[in-house]
Amino acid sequence: MRKLSASTALGVGCIAFALILAFIWIPLDTETWLVERKRGRYIAGDSLAPTLAAGFILIAGVMLLFERQTLDLHPTRYNLAFIGAISIFGIVGILLMRWTGPIAASLFGADEYRLLRDTAPWKYIGFVIGGGTMVFCIVSFVEQRVTWRALWIALVAVVVIIALYDLPFDDVLLPPNGDV
Amino acid sequence: MTDLGTLDYIWLGILAVFQGPEAFSLLGVSVSITVMMVAFGLVLGIVVGATPGLGGVIAMAISLPILISIFGFNSDALLPVMGFLIGVMKGSTVGGAVPAILFNTPGTPDAYMTTLDGYPMAQAGKARKALKVSHFSSVTGDTFSDIVLIVCAPFLAILVESYLDLPEKTALLILSLSFIAAVVSGSAAKGLLSCGLGLLAVYIGTGEDFYPRLSFGSDALSDGIPITAAVIGVLVIGAIFGELENLWSQTRRTGEIEIAQDEGDQRLHWSDIRRIFPYIGRSAIIGTTIGALPGVGSTLAATIGYATGKRIHTKKKRPEDPEFGQGAPEGIAATEAANSSVSGANLIPVLSLGIPGNTAAVFLILAAESIGGFNPGPAVFKFSSDLNPELVIAFGLFTTMILANLLNWTVGGLFMRSLGALVRIPKQYLLPVVLLLTLASLYVQETSMSAIWFAFGFGILGYFMMRFGISPLPFVIGFVLGGRIEDTARQAFSATGGDPWFLLKSPIAATFILCAIAVIFLSLRKPKADNT
Amino acid sequence: MKKLLKFAAVTATALSTSTAAIAADWTPPGPIKMVIAFAAGGGADTQARLIAEELEALHGWKIIPEQVTGKGGLNAVNALKDGATDGTVIGMIVTETLGYNMAAAKAGKPTDVTAITTTAGTQMAIVALASKGWKTFGDVIEAAKAGEDIRFGVMTGMLGDLAYIAGKENGVDFNIISVKGGKAVMNGLNAGDMDVGFGAGIQAKAVAAGDMVELASARSEPLKNSPDAPMLSEFGVDYVNETAFLFAGPPNMDPAAREAIAAAIAKVVNTEGGKANAFITKGFGGPVVISGDALDAALQQDFDSSGALIAAAAD
Repeated sequence: MRKLSASTALGVGCIAFALILAFIWIPLDTETWLVERKRGRYIAGDSLAPTLAAGFILIAGVMLLFERQTLDLHPTRYNLAFIGAISIFGIVGILLMRWTGPIAASLFGADEYRLLRDTAPWKYIGFVIGGGTMVFCIVSFVEQRVTWRALWIALVAVVVIIALYDLPFDDVLLPPNGDV
Repeated sequence: MTDLGTLDYIWLGILAVFQGPEAFSLLGVSVSITVMMVAFGLVLGIVVGATPGLGGVIAMAISLPILISIFGFNSDALLPVMGFLIGVMKGSTVGGAVPAILFNTPGTPDAYMTTLDGYPMAQAGKARKALKVSHFSSVTGDTFSDIVLIVCAPFLAILVESYLDLPEKTALLILSLSFIAAVVSGSAAKGLLSCGLGLLAVYIGTGEDFYPRLSFGSDALSDGIPITAAVIGVLVIGAIFGELENLWSQTRRTGEIEIAQDEGDQRLHWSDIRRIFPYIGRSAIIGTTIGALPGVGSTLAATIGYATGKRIHTKKKRPEDPEFGQGAPEGIAATEAANSSVSGANLIPVLSLGIPGNTAAVFLILAAESIGGFNPGPAVFKFSSDLNPELVIAFGLFTTMILANLLNWTVGGLFMRSLGALVRIPKQYLLPVVLLLTLASLYVQETSMSAIWFAFGFGILGYFMMRFGISPLPFVIGFVLGGRIEDTARQAFSATGGDPWFLLKSPIAATFILCAIAVIFLSLRKPKADNT
Repeated sequence: MKKLLKFAAVTATALSTSTAAIAADWTPPGPIKMVIAFAAGGGADTQARLIAEELEALHGWKIIPEQVTGKGGLNAVNALKDGATDGTVIGMIVTETLGYNMAAAKAGKPTDVTAITTTAGTQMAIVALASKGWKTFGDVIEAAKAGEDIRFGVMTGMLGDLAYIAGKENGVDFNIISVKGGKAVMNGLNAGDMDVGFGAGIQAKAVAAGDMVELASARSEPLKNSPDAPMLSEFGVDYVNETAFLFAGPPNMDPAAREAIAAAIAKVVNTEGGKANAFITKGFGGPVVISGDALDAALQQDFDSSGALIAAAAD
C-alpha cells in the first residue's frame, strides 16, 4: 500500500464534505426540496443549485483519487504556523477597528458612538488603532523583529488612507462607521 | 425619433467617451472625464505592474470601490469607471515587463518568460532596448487582440441571442464552467473543486424561498456573501498572504540590487521591428485564439508563444544572432505579444455571453453589477431603432480600449522606462499596507463590517487553496456565474412547463452538455504539464 | 382593497397639515442610515438615492445609504427591526413587502416596522413586444387557447399569483417564469425568452417608441401611457397590484421623528422641478404620498387581504 498522498486525503475530504452537504446540511437548512409544486406546476426548489455544487465537489473528490498528480502540494506545518499568526493579527486588528471607537465614546464621549460616527476625532479612533495594529503586527512578524520603523510605517499608512478616502469624499465612511 | 443603425451606435459610443462630462480643458480642447480616467488607469496600471508584489488585480480591487463612491450609482459612471479598469488592465501588462527585464524578477507569472531573454539583454547593457522591444510587442499584440474583440463580440452575441433559448443558455453556462475548471490549472479535479466551492459560497443565503438557505438561521449569512468580499478575499487577500509568507520565510535580502549600465545603441530601429514583427504576429494570433477561450490564462499563451518563436528562430536565425534564452529580442517579442494579446480577446466571452474568462473580466463584471445599468451579455448587442443605452456603453468601452492603446503607444513606453526604481520598495512594508488599503476600500463599497470579516475569511481560504495547488480563478468565476446559472436553469425549467429533461431535449443544449462532460473526462485522462 | 390607497391619500393630506408644526423642530441626533431594499442602479435604488440627496441638500441632514437586498424586501425589514428608534435608521421598501411577502413567508406583520410615508406608485402592466401582434391581454389568451405555449415573466411572488389566476380564470396554463427585477423581465421579452411579462413602469420608453405594448393594467386604474388597455378584472381576476414605494423605520419609532421625516420626504417628492419628483413622474406615474394613520390602516388591510390571493393561487 502506498503512502497516503495529500491529493488522496483531499479527495476523501471532498467526498465526505460533499455527502454531508448533500444529505445533511442542504436538506436540513433549506426550505424547499430539489423541485416543488407551485401554481399547478413543478418548479426548481432552493435545494437544487446547492446540490449541484455538492455534485461538483463530489466529482472533484472522486477524480482526485484517480488523477495522476505531478506535484503533491499540501500545506505544511510551517504554512499553518504562518497563516495562524496572520489570522490572529487580522482578527485582533478587525476587532479593535470595530470596538475601540465605541469603547472610547462610552468612556469619554458625550454621546453614544453611533451619533458620533461622523464626527472627528471619534470616527478615526477605530481605524487608526485597529488598522495600525494590523499593519504593525504583520510587518513585525514578517521581519521577525519589532522596530520603530514598522510603527511609523503603520501610522503613516493609516493616516495616508484616511487622507485618501475620508478627507476628499464627504460620503465615504471608513470602517466601522457605516454600520455601527 | 430617427431610426438608429449600427454606425450610429458606434458613433454614439465614441461620442460618449469624448463628449462626456468635461474634466478640464487643455489648450481650448475639452478633455472628458472618461478620457482622463483611462489615462489615470493606464498610468496606475503601469506603476503597479512594474512594482513587484503588486499587479493589475490588486489595483482594480482597491480602486473599484473608491471609483464607485466618486462616480455614484448611475449609468454615467459606467464609462469612466470601466475605462479606468481597462486602463489598469492594459497598463499592468506592459509594466510587468519592467522588473522582469531589469532585475530578473517577474512581477507576474506571465512575465516569467520575459526574463529569459530580457534579463540577459539587460546584463549585456541593452536594457532600454529590451524595454522598447517589450513595449512595442506588447502594445502591438494588445491592439490586434482588441480589433478581433471589437469585430467578433457583437456577431457572437447576436448569434447567441437569436439561436439560443433558455435551456441552451443554461447548457452553455454549464459548459463554460466545466471548461474553465478543466483547463485553468494542471488538475481538472482541483479546478472542479474550486468551482464547486465558489458555487456553494454564492448559494448561501440566496435563493427564491423566504428562508435564506444554508444560513444556519444566522443573520450574518442570511443576506448572502457580498460578491466583492468573496472575490477580493480569494483573489487578492489570499495572494497577499502567500507573498507575505514568502517574505517571512526568506531571510531578507539586504544589499543593493545590481543594475548593469546601458551601453551602445538603445534605439529600436526599423530593421529591428522588421525582424521581430513575424514573431509578434504569430504570438498575437496564438494569444488571441487562446484568450478567446474562457479561463485559459495569459501564462499559457506566453509559454506557447515563446516555444513557437523558439522553434522558428532556431531554424531561421543568422549565426551571429543570440539564441532564445541568451538575450534575443525575438524572445521578448514572442512572449510579450502573446501574453498581451490575451487581454482583449479575453473580453469576447464576457461581452458577448456575460461569462468572465479572467480576473480582469471579473472586475469589469463587478463594476457593471455594482453600478447598474449595464449587464454584460448577449442582450447588450440589441441594435434597436430606439436608443439602447447598453449598446452605446459597449461601443464606448471599445473606444476606451482603443484610446488606452493609443496612449500606451505614445506615452506608455516613455513612462514605463522611468519606473526601474519601484523594484526597491520593500515588500514587507508594502504588502501589509496594501492589505489594510484593500479592506478599507472594500468597506467603502459595502459599508458593513461583516464584508471585512468575509473578505478576511475568504483570504484564508484562498491561501489554503494556493497551498493545495488549487487555482482561485474557477472559484471566483463559479461565484460570479453561480447566480446566473441557477436563475437561467430555473427559468428554463419553468419555461418548458417543468420538463426535467429540458437540458437534453434540444440538440444544441444536448451538444453543450455532452461537450461539458467530454472536457472534464478528457482532461482527466490526459495528464498535462503544470504550465498555467 | 380597490381604491384603498387613493382613499388613504385624501385622509393623509388632512392629517399632515396639523402635525407640520411639531415636525419642523425636529433634527436627527446623528447621521441617518438609509437601508435600500433594491439592487444598485435600478429604478427604485435611483429613486431612494435621489431622495436622500435632496434631503441632505434641503435640511443639511447626513444620510448614509446602505443596500440590503433580497427576499422581497424582508432582509431590509430585518435590518430595520433592531435599529435605533430616534429617526437615525430608515429604509425604503415596497408596500408589497409588508403585505403579500410577509403573509406568504409567514414572517412578521406590518407593525414590525414603523411606516413613514409612501413616495410613488407603479404603472404595473402586462407587457409584450409589439412584434408579437397582440393588442390586449385577450389576444394572449386566444393564442394560448390555440395551443401556443405562453411564457409569462414575473418579478415578485404576488405577480406570479396574478399571472396564474389570470390564466386559470380563462382556462389556460401559462409557463410562469420568475426573475429578479423588472429589468430582467424586459431583457427576457427582448431576447424572446418570454412572451409576456409584468412591467412596473420601466416599459414606458419602449411603449412610447412603439416597440412594446401594454396589454392590460394590473392596477385598479387605467395606465397613464395606455389608457385604453383593459383592466385585469375584465378577465375575471379579482385582485390588483397596487404596490407603492415606502419609507419605513424600526418599530416604535419616535413620533416626532416619524412625522418630520415623512414631511421632509413628502416635500422632496412633491416639489416640481426637483430631481426626485422628475424621476418619479417619468418612471412611476407621479408621486403618491400617504403617511400617518391612513398609511398604517392601508398596510394592515393590504396584509390581511393578501391571504385570499395566496389561497386562490395555492392549488
